[in-house]
Amino acid sequence: MPGPLAGLTALEIGDRGEVAGKLLADAGVEVTRVEPPGGARTRHTGPFVDDRPDPDASLRFAYLNTNKRGATLDLGEPGDADRWRALVARADLVVDSTDPGALDALGLGYEALSESSPRLLWCAITPFGLTGPRRDWTTTDLVSMALGGPPMSTGYSDHDLPPIRADGEHSFWVAGEYAVAGIVAGLLQRTLTGQGQLIDVSIHEAVACTTEGAFESWEYRRRINQRQTGRHSAPDPTPPSQFLSGDGHYMQILGGGVPRRKHLYPLLLEWLDEHDAAQDLHDPVYSRALYDGEGDTAAANRHVGEVIRDFVATQPAEDLYRRGQSMHLPWGIVRWPEENLDDPHWDDRGFFVEAPVPGAEEPARYPRAGYRFTASPVEFRRPAPRLGEHNDEVFGELEDG
Amino acid sequence: MTDPTDTASAPLPLEGIRVCDFSWIVAGPQSTRILADLGAEVIKVENEDHLDTVRLQPGQPGPNRRGMHNNFNRNKLSITANLGHPAGRELVERLIAVSDLVVENFSPGAFARMGFPYERLRELRPDIVYLSVSGYGHEGRDSSYVTWGPTAQAVSGCTAVSGLPDQPPAGWGFSYLDHTAGYYAAVAALMALYHRSQTGEGQHVDLSQVETGMLIQGLHMLDFQVNGRPSERIGNRSRWPAVAPHGIYPCAGDDRWIAIAAEDDASWRALCGELGLPALAADERFATNDARLANEDLLDAAIASCTPEREAHELMEALQARGVPAGVVQTMEDRMERDPQLAARGFYPTASHPELGDHRFEGLPMRFSDARWRLDRGAPLLSEHTRHVATEILGYSEAEFDALVAGGAV
Repeated sequence: MPGPLAGLTALEIGDRGEVAGKLLADAGVEVTRVEPPGGARTRHTGPFVDDRPDPDASLRFAYLNTNKRGATLDLGEPGDADRWRALVARADLVVDSTDPGALDALGLGYEALSESSPRLLWCAITPFGLTGPRRDWTTTDLVSMALGGPPMSTGYSDHDLPPIRADGEHSFWVAGEYAVAGIVAGLLQRTLTGQGQLIDVSIHEAVACTTEGAFESWEYRRRINQRQTGRHSAPDPTPPSQFLSGDGHYMQILGGGVPRRKHLYPLLLEWLDEHDAAQDLHDPVYSRALYDGEGDTAAANRHVGEVIRDFVATQPAEDLYRRGQSMHLPWGIVRWPEENLDDPHWDDRGFFVEAPVPGAEEPARYPRAGYRFTASPVEFRRPAPRLGEHNDEVFGELEDG
Repeated sequence: MTDPTDTASAPLPLEGIRVCDFSWIVAGPQSTRILADLGAEVIKVENEDHLDTVRLQPGQPGPNRRGMHNNFNRNKLSITANLGHPAGRELVERLIAVSDLVVENFSPGAFARMGFPYERLRELRPDIVYLSVSGYGHEGRDSSYVTWGPTAQAVSGCTAVSGLPDQPPAGWGFSYLDHTAGYYAAVAALMALYHRSQTGEGQHVDLSQVETGMLIQGLHMLDFQVNGRPSERIGNRSRWPAVAPHGIYPCAGDDRWIAIAAEDDASWRALCGELGLPALAADERFATNDARLANEDLLDAAIASCTPEREAHELMEALQARGVPAGVVQTMEDRMERDPQLAARGFYPTASHPELGDHRFEGLPMRFSDARWRLDRGAPLLSEHTRHVATEILGYSEAEFDALVAGGAV
């Protein structure tokens, strides 16, 4: 059976819930994306195949709508509104990321449609939630990320440079991830009670609880975490952990490369010795300061980190990554996303799946999922729909009763 | 909508689900935090000789004083057992036999070496869901590689695309992928439990933290394959949609900033009106979105020359009143002490911890019409619930449990 949620049907409407819809569809739910006649926002934002602004050739739409069917409805038209009601009546669940109250104003929201469908599970994904004084504020990913907090912790040690919003519309991702957790919890509850319900997911809250140590610093110490270049924010400065390799890649070397465990330190020195790069690190004063609490630990950390930085600057990044990891040191190479396409480890796991790309002649390799189900694997069943591609099929099912 | 943490009025969605939780540090406990908030009975199985390092607060005595541990482990129970002692191992196996889900985030192979390969779990409980959370997954040639959040962010591509074009990667100022791996782990566990509810079949779910990051970066991979376009760092600008202005600008005060994303001409004119820049709105270099994109450096400099005159929150309110998407780059203090939306939604509820006292906690970002999530109490003290779990859940008598303690099994 394809996917752990096979057998369920869902409707997805709105432009902020595509990640939730994708995770559900990839997990086996028959998700029908309901779009206005002109198409969803992402059909018009690209990037596009060959940079051709065609609503059927948006790569963003292609990626976020895998395994979904597509149907268009103009909910301002009475006939289409009736179709929406009929579709909702047949669905297990609805993912609704339209503006708060937008469907209710048309009599087409949860309140109106759940009365006759007590099993209906309806998840609203909105910028601030369905209640509260800022419910109707206007946002984009950038604004949601700023208000939620990650940029205040992310950027450069030079605070004349702005805080950084990481590229990738992460506010929609974290909200989608939480929404699916809530939805599947609601489904499990429904298997026992037979009752559906409304789940109100706030993008602002999903981002706001995704900043890790900043919370602890404020709630427990009344300190604000400060941005630092390429590493964790912290109330007080910490040593660098991002170094340039000899071939011009960045390496992410946690804690500046100083092994957390004492037994790894001699292995590191052995490696440095092979390249005549250990400098004075054989002096036992460093080992004692780092692992036995004798002497100036902070100074030893700084110095060892500098020696490692100098060594990294002479070596190819891939070698550093593989050799470090072979010693169980968590050394990471800073890869561009596309560089992972060529790493055979992911092929061993079947992480990529080659499949058609709407609007393109050649297929491409898509990430399959962030988890591997051994009994109910995630499968690529169909590429993202063209605009209105499944209108006949979806509306025909209504006529078939 | 019910109060999300009202303890009396509504059921918990995951009531009746029991989780045997061997996870530690951040990624694993994030996943079971969500499950526990939603009502699952999460029992942490801990080892006094290999303490969860997040339990330790530098400069403070004992394993129960760290705020981060309190936040991520609220609602859970803690037991300790000596797996080297036959009776200790038996206790843990009896717990697995009555659990729905086993979670761990050790390095691949470690849990099997502790005596718990998936086959053994299935002998103990045929329909068990086993969720392993690791950096590279349990299958594949590099499965022995180890990650912390920043490692996974770097390898997956999340780090490289974050930052200014003429600067090194900014990456993420925290372990973003410890969070999201935890979120995906919760999602995967729930999906597998749903599958079991429909089919009676358990399974092993093998989650890779790096893969969760690669999933989030999938669009860049498609663009590279289809268009041959490599990824790059673009700061706070927006390429898709290609709109300007779109950035983070300085405000009055020390390290205060505002994010502004004017996605259309109306927003642009409203922004100029609020900043007192009518000449800019009329300037043909900025008259259309295409023109603004072509002159983006000039545009950002013009905006950044005005915003330092304004207090960030005041400017945000004014821009929102004009319909311009704008938001303060909020500090943790902003979010907890002056964000009226989070306050109105009760997002930082308070609970008590025996050693740390009363503290606020980060909420769960959802509310249910006919259910609730909970904050019953802070994180458990190390081994706080060993006797409770043994006698109330596993059927040991008080005398039998006392014998386990005396024999060094727990």
